[in-house]
Amino acid sequence: MRGGISLTLLFLSLYSFAQNSSKAVVAGKVVAANGEALAGVTVMLQNTSHGAITNDKGEYEINSVAEGSYTLVARFLGFETFEESITVSGSEKLSINITLKDASLELGAVEVVGKSESQLLREQPYAVAAIRTKSLYNSSANAKEVLNRVSGVRVMEEGGLGSNLKFTLNGFSGDQVKFFLDGIPMDNFGSSLSLNNIPVNTIDRIEVYKGVVPVWLGTDALGGAVNIITNKKNNFLDASYSIGSFNTHRVSINGANTNAETGFTFRGNANYNYSDNNYKVFVPIRENNNIVDSANVERFHDRYRSGTVKLEAGFVDKSFADNLLLGIIASANDQQVQTGATMNTVYGGIVRNSESIIPSLKWNKENVFVEGLNMSFFNSYSNIKSEVIDTLRGVTYNWLGDTTYTPGSNNGELSRTYTTLTDNEFSSQFNAGYTINTKHSLAFNYAYSYFHREAFDTENPDNVENQFPKSIRKQVIGLAYKLDVSPKWSTTFFGKAYLLKAETSKQFDFGQTTQRTEAVTSNKDNFGYGVASTYFLLSDLQLKASYEHTYRMPWANEIFGDGLFTQDNPDLGPEQSDNLNVGAAYGFRMQQDHQFNVEGSFIYREAKDLIYQVVKVSSPVTNYDNLAETRVLGVEASASYEWKNLLRLGGNITYQNITDQADSIYNESYTNTGYQKNFQKGFRLPNTPYFFANANAGVTFPEVVGSGSTLNFNYYFSFVEQYFLSWAELGSRDSKKVIPRQTSHDVELSLSLNEGKYNVSVECRNLASARLYDRYYLQKPGRAFYLKLRFAL
Amino acid sequence: MFSKTLFKKYALPVVALFALSVTACEESDDTNPDDSTLEHPFVVSMAVQGSDNTFTYYTVPFEDVMTGSLSALGEGIEQPGYYDFTQIDETIFSIGGLDDVNVVGINYSGGELTQIGDVSFTNSISDIVEADDNSLVAVEMSSDSDVVTFHRVDLNSVSVIETVNNPTSDLTDELGTSYAGMRVSNGHLYLAYYVSSPDTWETPFTDQAEVAVYSYPEFEFEGIMTDDRVGPVGGFNVKSGLISDENGDVYAVSHTNPANGYSQSTQPAGILKINAGETEFDEDYFLSFDEVAEGKTAAHLVYLGNGKAFAEFNMDAREEQARWSDGPLQSAIIDLNNQTVEFITDIPQHAGDGRRLALLQDGNTLYRCIPEDNGIYIYKIDLNTLTATKGALVEANFVAGIFRF
Repeated sequence: MRGGISLTLLFLSLYSFAQNSSKAVVAGKVVAANGEALAGVTVMLQNTSHGAITNDKGEYEINSVAEGSYTLVARFLGFETFEESITVSGSEKLSINITLKDASLELGAVEVVGKSESQLLREQPYAVAAIRTKSLYNSSANAKEVLNRVSGVRVMEEGGLGSNLKFTLNGFSGDQVKFFLDGIPMDNFGSSLSLNNIPVNTIDRIEVYKGVVPVWLGTDALGGAVNIITNKKNNFLDASYSIGSFNTHRVSINGANTNAETGFTFRGNANYNYSDNNYKVFVPIRENNNIVDSANVERFHDRYRSGTVKLEAGFVDKSFADNLLLGIIASANDQQVQTGATMNTVYGGIVRNSESIIPSLKWNKENVFVEGLNMSFFNSYSNIKSEVIDTLRGVTYNWLGDTTYTPGSNNGELSRTYTTLTDNEFSSQFNAGYTINTKHSLAFNYAYSYFHREAFDTENPDNVENQFPKSIRKQVIGLAYKLDVSPKWSTTFFGKAYLLKAETSKQFDFGQTTQRTEAVTSNKDNFGYGVASTYFLLSDLQLKASYEHTYRMPWANEIFGDGLFTQDNPDLGPEQSDNLNVGAAYGFRMQQDHQFNVEGSFIYREAKDLIYQVVKVSSPVTNYDNLAETRVLGVEASASYEWKNLLRLGGNITYQNITDQADSIYNESYTNTGYQKNFQKGFRLPNTPYFFANANAGVTFPEVVGSGSTLNFNYYFSFVEQYFLSWAELGSRDSKKVIPRQTSHDVELSLSLNEGKYNVSVECRNLASARLYDRYYLQKPGRAFYLKLRFAL
Repeated sequence: MFSKTLFKKYALPVVALFALSVTACEESDDTNPDDSTLEHPFVVSMAVQGSDNTFTYYTVPFEDVMTGSLSALGEGIEQPGYYDFTQIDETIFSIGGLDDVNVVGINYSGGELTQIGDVSFTNSISDIVEADDNSLVAVEMSSDSDVVTFHRVDLNSVSVIETVNNPTSDLTDELGTSYAGMRVSNGHLYLAYYVSSPDTWETPFTDQAEVAVYSYPEFEFEGIMTDDRVGPVGGFNVKSGLISDENGDVYAVSHTNPANGYSQSTQPAGILKINAGETEFDEDYFLSFDEVAEGKTAAHLVYLGNGKAFAEFNMDAREEQARWSDGPLQSAIIDLNNQTVEFITDIPQHAGDGRRLALLQDGNTLYRCIPEDNGIYIYKIDLNTLTATKGALVEANFVAGIFRF
């Protein structure tokens, strides 16, 4: 992933020049008063176009400076502007180290967040939301909860800790939105390493790309991408333990040690999550085939456990590599399965588990062979073994945990199975970026992945489907050209090639005498292109626009299913989309102490063969299917206010109208076969939130219990308007299956002592104990309390 | 402190951004048209297919089904999934199929449709039939299950009173016992079935009709009636293998037609009779389709009264049928006593839906939903003259039921 970041920096180095030996170089390091290197500081020669932005070590270099006198200016939000007159002569290399004085000293504020990498990212031409998680480290939240507070984003979960998540970004969901951990696709990490169990204090920041995804992420995501950047400090230790309602325990230890002389580095991260998830749900009670009552009962078969160890060792800052890291991730989880796709079905015996081993190799280097050529290379292999076990015979449970036994029946609770899925995946990504000069730069990306699944069901060893190979080979090749017409205007043009080869099996001629299952191979090659541009109308008012013609290839679980609730669909094809994003961001300060930021964007998308998860109210199983034509029209806006870093207020609002635009539907059955009128054309898509908002407020009390202490209080509010499980317009409103309007309130109080070394926080989620459903009839926990202890060095 | 310039600089972009979001958030909340109370409404259960290949059913009341078009826009009870509808007395039963295991009753009271009862079974219910004045029998019979489960259901409360399991081994040693029809008459429960492999859907046993007899209300297995004048009774999903008349006589139809689920036919097609209270077929009664309909067979049969039944005849020769096609169909009236067939020629030849027939009998008038090239139309049939009139267009992909309260 380092390649990803360095490329980003490369793109951001709007003013950096290629090497030119006949002119002078001004270089140095920018640090804060406490000696900490500052990344992202703009260093300029005043009244010229010469300038640079510091890298993550705080270093800058301004090349090709002509002889003369200049004023060197360094600006960084939250720091006083640095100015110094310099004289440059001949081809000398002038070294000027800069110490920026903390502006907060003057303001009397305690903590100042500078113009961070997150802020720089926001200024890219892409529609990107960058979230710094540092202020959340004491929170017991995980990556999922942090993401849920971003505009346009909904993380919909099926239940408690460890439950399935569905991520939607401007109405795109599932694999339309790709997840990256440090720039590396998370597709192949297995269920034991998901958003749910990445603790917040291992995360440095999260970047959410809406719509157009930068070439260097090398993906076929068409809805956007989420890149989770983990801590990259060379030496640190961070340990936390959190305990909460429903017997929830979470432990996380995270650290790095680097030998400054040899460059040898060792990084490790271990976390363990446990929860009984025995929260109460309001459900129908079935007795003797009658729904006798609806009652609040505890979930009784929903325990989740997961553990992950991630180790990395290698070298940093050597001549052969900026980073050369060999890593391994080992993780395992097991999970009791309480319900299917809705709470109408309840299980007491189904369990699933997964184990993964993922070795990886990362290398990256800036200025390879020539100045301005940066390369990165990443490889991983993953071996994931998972089991799906439904072996009770003739037993059905109700929500009280009572069983009904049907003698002589061999039926499983869902479908009797003991399936072992062995997934092997190889994934490789190569990035190269070259800065030609201040105006022109190029980036190239090649991503390759190969997925292979073997399935065996001991309860049904003759299962025909399991006898065919299942594999997917996917390649994405991207090339981008960035043109910086002026420091105010930056535009990226890009093209991508998507190559997919999938092998699976398919049943032909269902119910005919010729019915048979055969191996099928499909090859899909598509080409996409797009442009993304940003322009600073005022120094604080940024406009962004992007358009992309793009494709997304279906991925393993969508084509092959998950062996339990997700059925396979060998006919699933790639989806195609034309995306247009237009947005503006404006930030300003009033009277020094009041910082305002507002941002808004408009989204228009025409998608063909949208890959869509079909949830049926009647059925515990789901599947993926292509929706012929859909249109997304959406707007989102966010605003935030901060006063002296002591008071924070913020909110965002998202409205997205996703409608079916197909004229006809295809009836696959043997009666009335063929195309028929689509009576739901123009109606809003089922089971997809269309109007939601978030708000938060935070107060910081510095030095409450001695120096170096901070007391923080945060409040989060979330609102989701009611939406329908089915298409919106048909049927009377009171008979429609709805996901009701939801409002939830979370509060959090945290105390840091000794400059953040010791931390304790308490949190109450769903304060009003509202009945919350993200998915149709899948209830989330009521009021819950969490206590988190954290030690950071 | 506060200046106009500052206001313009700071506030305008903010206002503009929020204006953008607010205008876009305005939603056209379509209000439901006021349901004016209808005296004896028609109720149409319409199925609409979504772009995601799932179906949603809307059960909607209408005053008139003969003019204009019938739409579920903003009206009707919504049920996503697969539902089979059957009316018994003043209750429409929606029977969940495929993965749905619930049965809900729908009544018309106080000028609107209301749902009553909610029963939930282990597997989908194959059918619900009238048993006596207050009870119904629901049967669970899945082709991959080892048990046949009967439930006695209270008609008024739509709740299960009793459940009895019987092994499928009573019926056959083969896997794949498939439901074909059920009737309760004079203390006996007649259950027609055929064997269709749950994997290949082949039907290797087509040499005789088999109807299992259980005692009612005990649901004790009494034996199997067989008859080799025809093949198995009934067929796939049409639920009309057995019909009964006002005297308690039961008629069993055999077609072994590929269009309705058979992979082979080895016997002639026709209708057998079980006299009231008997546990054997009436050897003296046989309505031969070869004789009365030139070999055309009927899979859909609805008893109307006075020895007459409504039937949909498949107009292609049985040997040339495409499997599962349930068509092309021609509506007809069968006189079970006189053994005659009269086709209703005002109704065009049409496709079948491969499921229970949507047919309403209202005295001497029948209403039937006919899929045509440009949509589904209601046809009103006069039983006296056997003439039909074309009525309203139904805005749905198929009609699952038409009823009247």
